[in-house]
Amino acid sequence: MQSGYAVHSLQANLSVVLASTWMRLLTISRYKGQLISDIVVPIVMASMPILLGRATAGDQAGQIFEARTGTANYVAYMLIGSSVFTIVSSSFWHIANWLRWEMQTGTLEALYMTPTGRVWIAAGTALYSMLRSTLSAFVSYFAGSLILGVNPFQGELLMALVFILVGLLPVYGMALIFGAVVLKLKEANALINLMQWLVSFLMGVYFPVAILPPFFRFLALAFPPTWMTNGVRSALLGVGYFFGVWYKDLAVLWVFLFIAPLAGYFIFTRVETAMRRNEGLGQF
Amino acid sequence: MLNELKQNPPPTLTEMKPLQGAEALVSSLLAACKKELITLARYPVSFVASFAQVFLIVAIFSLAGQMFSQPGSASLNVNGVVVYGFILFIFLSDTLWTIGANIRQEQVQGTLEQLYLSPANKFANLASKIVNLLTLTMILSLISMGVMSWMLGGLPFHNPLLGLYIFVMTLSGVFGFGFAFAALTLRIKQTAETLANLLQFAVMILCANFFPFSALPEPLRMVSRLIPLSYSVDAFRSTLMGFPAGFPELASIEVELVIVTVFGLLTPLLGYWAYIRAEDAARRSGSLAEF
Repeated sequence: MQSGYAVHSLQANLSVVLASTWMRLLTISRYKGQLISDIVVPIVMASMPILLGRATAGDQAGQIFEARTGTANYVAYMLIGSSVFTIVSSSFWHIANWLRWEMQTGTLEALYMTPTGRVWIAAGTALYSMLRSTLSAFVSYFAGSLILGVNPFQGELLMALVFILVGLLPVYGMALIFGAVVLKLKEANALINLMQWLVSFLMGVYFPVAILPPFFRFLALAFPPTWMTNGVRSALLGVGYFFGVWYKDLAVLWVFLFIAPLAGYFIFTRVETAMRRNEGLGQF
Repeated sequence: MLNELKQNPPPTLTEMKPLQGAEALVSSLLAACKKELITLARYPVSFVASFAQVFLIVAIFSLAGQMFSQPGSASLNVNGVVVYGFILFIFLSDTLWTIGANIRQEQVQGTLEQLYLSPANKFANLASKIVNLLTLTMILSLISMGVMSWMLGGLPFHNPLLGLYIFVMTLSGVFGFGFAFAALTLRIKQTAETLANLLQFAVMILCANFFPFSALPEPLRMVSRLIPLSYSVDAFRSTLMGFPAGFPELASIEVELVIVTVFGLLTPLLGYWAYIRAEDAARRSGSLAEF
């Protein structure tokens, strides 16, 4: 215990991040079914509104959809929505599930006794989650496009990639806030289920947020994934940026990029400190 | 006290036998149900979140449907198809998570092995999970029906008695499927969550809960015909919609009723049998506490 001091050097912290990421990648490599599920689920999610649309509008589905959204390519529209949703949902899911799992198995409190910064362990989990979900979303989009018969290489692919990469950090900042909520309320499964549908609703997974009532539209526009999704759709399908040009929409995402991670860090550390002082982290 | 204990010593571990008979089963079942309901009450956020979730699901699918509908041409049949399919879907989804994932949760928390060391009837523990389902999901499905009816502008509602019969048989079959899934959970452990996720999505597509079967490509429709739950979905919504033209889609209602009845009567027995075998295997191999 004499040498039990906290590790603070950048090299040591990076080592914690990489060790945490590596451990999780190693674990997930043992569960190949989960990796397949990551790819299949977005395709299935996109298929439901596509089939519903075909059953409702028949041959006119593309025409009606274009009048509502600005593109007749409803298959790619839904696939983009569900693929970006996978990235966003995974970030929340992985952070919340990590905390909840460690709480239930009784290792969270033990982890907090180690001489490392918790945020660096969380950063390792976030890095793992980014790698896993982004790769799955890409594979899912390309595989889904091929299965459902649309061209995955249309539009400005690089621009779409930029929107995704810039949007990742704000998303993980928000995931950290969600992690704090799970730490406090403990009911991870219920919160994750609710969050998944709330995220789908706010980011417009199957529809443009312009059709939402004013209050919900305001909430949706304050939600970084909405800008991510619309940016990718505009780059690939030309549905139109919120501010008309790509750089203004991207600038908004940059603002989120600075605010969301800081807010996430601040809220998470506050909740964590309060819990350690009060009931502790071992309860579930 | 000491003399009493000397005269009637408690049974040793090897002398202990499981509590048997109807009275013991009812008593264990009531105790297990009470425990489930107390646990449910300890997580109020979960309760509220489930209700909020229904509103969001309804909103998302309604808005997705709007993207393909022309003003003034809303089809009542499509509303019925989506709503009644959705109700059966939430029961299946909750069964997979409540029965299968619950067993897993007890494994992770370390209470499953202790529960199995007690002389209480093991079926009571499994059956008590259904109480959760029947109370919470039933309320949820009734609310979702009301919300959807309001959001989509009315729902067709015909043949309530026949609809109720199909619903009860379907629930019985779904619970049996849940028992079998719990058995699988004991074997495959962590993979069960992934499988539950995949099964949910597979059912959404193959059992056509959110669209008519006619929207499926022919090869997928052939797979749908091999799944009894598809006939339940088809029969349930066709009946409540008053058998509009083209419904039921997979077979005549008489044939579908036979399939649904067999599904409802046979699946719980098969599911329970599978569970008993898996439980026995887990106890013999000592893997009840492994995760």
